[in-house]
Amino acid sequence: MKNWFLRGLAAGIRTERLPDGNVSTALSPGLPKTTEHASEEQAKALAAVCPTDAIRAVGSIGEVDEDRCVLCMRCKGRDGQRWRRDVTWAHAANANSQDPLESSFRKSLHVRIIDAGDCGSCLNEVAQLNGPSYNLHRVGVFITPTPRQADVLLVVGPATRQMRDALVAAYEAMPEPKRVVAVGACAASGGVFGPSLMSAAGVGEIIPVDLVVPGCPPPPHAIIDALRLVCGQTKRAVHK
Amino acid sequence: MTALPLTLNLWAIAICVLGVDFALIAKERLAPRVLAIACCAAAALSFLGGAVCLAVGPSGDVALWTFPVIGSITIGTTTMGSWFACVAALVYVPTSLFTLRYLERYADNYSLRAFAIWYCALLAAIIGLFLCRDVTSFFIDWEVIAIASALLVAFEWRHVRNARAAFLMLGMSEAGTMAALLAMLLARSGSLWFGGPPTVLGGALSWAVFLLAFFGFGVKAGLLPINSWLPRAHPLAPGNISALLSGVILNVGVYGIVLVNMMLAPSHIPVQGLVVMVVGAASALVGILYATIVDDMKAMLAYSSIENIGIVITALGTAFVFTAVGQPLLAGIGFAAAMYHLANHSAYKGLLFLGASTVDMKLGTRSMNALGGIIRVLPITTALFFIGVLGIAAIPPLNGFVSEWMTFQALLRSAELAPLTFRVTFALCGAVLALTAALTVTCFVKVFGMSFLGWQRTERPKTSEASRSMLLGMGLLGLACLALGVLPTYVLPVIGRASTAVFGSDVVTGTLVPPFFKPAAGPAPLPADFVATFHALGAQLGSWLPGRGLVVMLRGGAANPVVFAMSTTYLCLIIALLLLITYGLVRSVTRARRAERSKTWTGGMTHLPSEMTYTATGFSNPVRVIFDAVFDPTEVENTRETIHHHFRSAIRRTREDVFLSERLVSDPLTHAVRSAAAFLARMHHGRLSAYVGYALGTLLVVLAIASAAQP
Amino acid sequence: MLNAVVEHLRTIWPDVTWREQHQTIYADVDPQYLRAMAKYFRAQQWRIGTIVARENERGLDVRYFFYATSHPGWLELRVEVDSNERKLPSLTNVAIAADWFEREIEDLFSVRFSDHPRLGDFVLHNDRWPEDLGLMRPQVQSAADVPEQVRAWRPKRVLEEEGAFVMTVGPVYSGDAESALFLLETVGEDVVRAVPRLFFKYRAIEKIAEGRTIHDVLLLAERCNGTSAIGNGLAYCQAVERAVDIPLPARAALLRVFFAELERVRHHMTSIREICASTALQVAESQALWIEEQLLRISGELTGHRYLFGVLAIGGLMTDYDRGTLDNAVAEVSALMAQVEPLRKALESASSFLDRIEQVGIVSGESARTFEIVGPFARASGVAADMRAVQPYGAYADVLFDVPTETEGDGYARLRVLFSEMVQSLRIMRGVVADLPSGSVTSDVRVGAGSALGWSEAPRGASVQWVECDAQGLVLRYRLTPPSFRNWHGFHVATEDFAFQDLPIVLATLDLSVAENDR
Repeated sequence: MKNWFLRGLAAGIRTERLPDGNVSTALSPGLPKTTEHASEEQAKALAAVCPTDAIRAVGSIGEVDEDRCVLCMRCKGRDGQRWRRDVTWAHAANANSQDPLESSFRKSLHVRIIDAGDCGSCLNEVAQLNGPSYNLHRVGVFITPTPRQADVLLVVGPATRQMRDALVAAYEAMPEPKRVVAVGACAASGGVFGPSLMSAAGVGEIIPVDLVVPGCPPPPHAIIDALRLVCGQTKRAVHK
Repeated sequence: MTALPLTLNLWAIAICVLGVDFALIAKERLAPRVLAIACCAAAALSFLGGAVCLAVGPSGDVALWTFPVIGSITIGTTTMGSWFACVAALVYVPTSLFTLRYLERYADNYSLRAFAIWYCALLAAIIGLFLCRDVTSFFIDWEVIAIASALLVAFEWRHVRNARAAFLMLGMSEAGTMAALLAMLLARSGSLWFGGPPTVLGGALSWAVFLLAFFGFGVKAGLLPINSWLPRAHPLAPGNISALLSGVILNVGVYGIVLVNMMLAPSHIPVQGLVVMVVGAASALVGILYATIVDDMKAMLAYSSIENIGIVITALGTAFVFTAVGQPLLAGIGFAAAMYHLANHSAYKGLLFLGASTVDMKLGTRSMNALGGIIRVLPITTALFFIGVLGIAAIPPLNGFVSEWMTFQALLRSAELAPLTFRVTFALCGAVLALTAALTVTCFVKVFGMSFLGWQRTERPKTSEASRSMLLGMGLLGLACLALGVLPTYVLPVIGRASTAVFGSDVVTGTLVPPFFKPAAGPAPLPADFVATFHALGAQLGSWLPGRGLVVMLRGGAANPVVFAMSTTYLCLIIALLLLITYGLVRSVTRARRAERSKTWTGGMTHLPSEMTYTATGFSNPVRVIFDAVFDPTEVENTRETIHHHFRSAIRRTREDVFLSERLVSDPLTHAVRSAAAFLARMHHGRLSAYVGYALGTLLVVLAIASAAQP
Repeated sequence: MLNAVVEHLRTIWPDVTWREQHQTIYADVDPQYLRAMAKYFRAQQWRIGTIVARENERGLDVRYFFYATSHPGWLELRVEVDSNERKLPSLTNVAIAADWFEREIEDLFSVRFSDHPRLGDFVLHNDRWPEDLGLMRPQVQSAADVPEQVRAWRPKRVLEEEGAFVMTVGPVYSGDAESALFLLETVGEDVVRAVPRLFFKYRAIEKIAEGRTIHDVLLLAERCNGTSAIGNGLAYCQAVERAVDIPLPARAALLRVFFAELERVRHHMTSIREICASTALQVAESQALWIEEQLLRISGELTGHRYLFGVLAIGGLMTDYDRGTLDNAVAEVSALMAQVEPLRKALESASSFLDRIEQVGIVSGESARTFEIVGPFARASGVAADMRAVQPYGAYADVLFDVPTETEGDGYARLRVLFSEMVQSLRIMRGVVADLPSGSVTSDVRVGAGSALGWSEAPRGASVQWVECDAQGLVLRYRLTPPSFRNWHGFHVATEDFAFQDLPIVLATLDLSVAENDR
């Protein structure tokens, strides 16, 4: 045991500063953003490339619905498509979404993660949050095993039908005040899976969602950003 | 001196006899009513007689008839007998009330008339036993008890198991009786009368009398290793009889031990006391271990009786040791603890057995694995059962706490003993009892949590709360548990009166319930601030209430004015106050907020079948695993079946936990006797020449002895 | 080699028409022969690749794919099923590995398998759907066609002991665990038997793939299990390329190997991290997490996506990568491997850690072979089943590597296999980058009708996929057999008689993905 302790000390501090601005593709794949193209044809061509209709051509503007983007990378190599490189991706799910939690949660937020059909990459990114590089605890966020003690339900996956009862049960088991953060394209819009026979068009169909983090998967920094936002550590306008 | 107690007791016996008569002539369906009226009246009279005797002192002995050889038949009341009679009546009155409606369940299959007759006869014999003042009447009465109780155990005689259990009980009881009889005859050579000064026996004879009496009566009391009858008979007897077996019959065994080893021929060798303590502590631990793992509610209570009698005997053992080393005041503590625990056990075990019987009657099963959520169908029974659970788990301010606390205090007084072996034995017994106490809590959390709380596990009949007379019976016992718990300073002087029969004077009251403000002659006066504190708390109540104060305490010397002190009375008030304050605080702090109430979080399972919740076996399995060496279970079955080579279709596992006494003592003994009989049987093969040979051999041996005997 | 097999088959079953093409033996057979054939091929050490049921207007048929373990070669047995009677003989008696395939087909196509002892609640949970729903049948088109009927469900119990009960773990449990329900049969303390109840995350990938373009189905293949996107995506691409006959440029084939191995390294690091976490070895967990994060960053920097989504394309790769970037990536991975080695040594000398993973979740080689376990799980039990070596695909025939195996079959053996495979993967990556030919990484993707099988060794083991597409380039039937589906079938073998507190450790060392199984 002593050896492990010393090994831990010898490794030094590996925690990195939270990014403020753009980051490289090592940390985040980025997201395509609404672009004004040279021509209507070019916008239409890009919209045609997009398999999930995340890009919609309105005149020469390629409007991007971030929630629908599954990061297939097919528009990336194309000319003209612009990408956002920051990690402040979280936004309010809809007009009814609640405001951030009150100030008493700012330094201590407990999160229950629900896997409602996730492919594993969102969950893996969430798992990275506890790693030394991200060190989620420094922002006062803790992952708890029971929704009874949770302030935030972090849902990943497209809310498959066989997980819906469990999802609703977890939501109902949480005490007020509570917030729901939908993480990933599937939770936001159904992604490549939904809406379909077995998947919903996002978690919002099943339980009220407050914050949505798009991306397939959203990088750890984007998830931290959402959690800081929901407990009021950072503030910005989240309603579109 | 007054004859009133004796008269009252004789009236009580007369009423019982009348009860038997009425039961014989009345219509069968009236039998329960005859039983209830007669036995309630008789037990109440007996209680009154005992109380009067304890208040004013024993009546003189009355010689009724004189016979050749066996001498006079003598009866009379003693303070000791009266104490036991009072405890017996404490159980008998509520149980008889309970029986009134409880017998309904047997009306179709068994004779209620027979039940009433044996029930009344048993009560008469029990009241009589405490009046017997000579060996002859004592053993005649003793036999009546043995036979009547065995018949009651075998009441459901159509089940062969019940009849077997009754025979086993009777057989073992007879063996014990022989030993006890021998002990009494040895103790009192020349006289069969119990009166007169105690005899002091020499070393070997003292040991013989001690061992014969202790283990002879120990059979009745359910002590290790001679109690294999107990876990078989108690669970199979009708529920109300189980209550009597545990609450009354076991006490009779303890009475026998007290009578012979403390009164007739007092044990004066300290090591004998240590033997008593070790047997007691071992019984307690083994009893509670088995109680924890069994899943039949009544079997659990039966094993728990072994544990409780074990505690009584351990406390009694300290009294033996302290008496033998000449410390009667400390012996008084042990004696008081033993007698107090005896009464407590009768009260709560009676209550628990009646509760378990109600559950059995209403829901048709006693298996904790099948029961669950009883609180929703039998709420009052559950509440009363809970009082019993708190009592037996020794949760203050209930009664079990008082006597167990006193037992531990008696064990801690080992500081006053010189030899190291004594101190070590005391310490080990203390440790064993501490473990026992912890296991008791586990055991009763299990029975209450798994059966009365939680989910309904199996389909159960539609049913309603028990009838009023049954609830009244349980309620009386619940009240007794509360009273014995909250008012120890009123109970201890009564035990003090009883102790005069053993110690010649009251060694309890002055020691444990000292006059609070009057500095006694012996110990140093209490420090002024201590008195002031208790004065502020209202301890002076003792000056105008019939008691002496509300604190049980032992006063020491100047350096240590208070050796120990405890007051469940105050504790009760404080707990009530704290609960009230907490409730008030919570209400005032959270007034604005609504408490969130929702279903239990079950990991996202929306339909959780009851087979997915912990069973009683599962709850106690850690104990089973840890103490596997004690249980040493026999694996009856351990098979794994597959279909189509790979699909596991069944894993069957059955294990049998044979009770320790049965496994280590009864079974080998039975086996040995059987093999001996088989060996002897080989001599009877019917050949004439062999028989002639036996005759010749015998003749030769007789001749040899005769010639050797010639001077 | 296959010629000889076919000759022999013709002597045993002369009335069956046996054909051989593209390393595959084909035959249309009568259902009554199935058991005898399965028994024969099992005896010849062939294994079940996948079983594909397909229903369209023309009828219902089921294809049984077997592959040889001693030489390259596949077998495809096709049986037609009467679409009214919907009955087939069960193969579980001769090949237990068919068990879950048959249960799945029964649930999704409503085909009864005679003599199968455990049909019922499987993919579609019986507390929600009727048993004969047949979700994959063509007439089921939308959610409205499969209405839910909530009713009580009770697990099948086999432990018959006084006081036995079922302890449930899940479907929502632990901190960030995938949703699955574990039914532990116990009488308290020790668990006698544990079975998983899966498919809470069933997204019906095979159903929703139908009617999508071959390119869009690649998105589903990648996202079946996001942590092995290349592994499953590669099998899909190869199936499509074989079905439509799309040539693969040599550079693309080698680069695919490169990315598959990069993913394997990252994936194994994740598994090692999870094993450390399951034993509550915080320091090791943190160090593994750090290394894992660095590997994710290398992937992100190289391809733009941390999980390598969007790297593959039908007919090659989405983009090309220049030599310098690749060299750089190899150098970075090598540098990280230098940090993995001390972690391995430290773990292997930590007695408190070894106490918890040794002799835990043991699966014997015989069980692994019988249940046809795949991937590192099987290799830790001494079964050198590796599609890269047994049935080489893409450029794997040309690269040098070893298949590390261990024999104990316990948690520790599985950990050692993971470490050894990381070393091998780095070796392959180095080799690939050194010999990379120049040229394009894309080819003209023509569309055409056809069907074919594709397979790959995903990080968790063999991924076998079958695709049928039409002339417009739309997928008619997509069958996805990921490795976790095979390995979950063997889960209960590793979990008879264990201590409850070992459950997370057993789970972590078995390295099973719920998402991949549920699809």
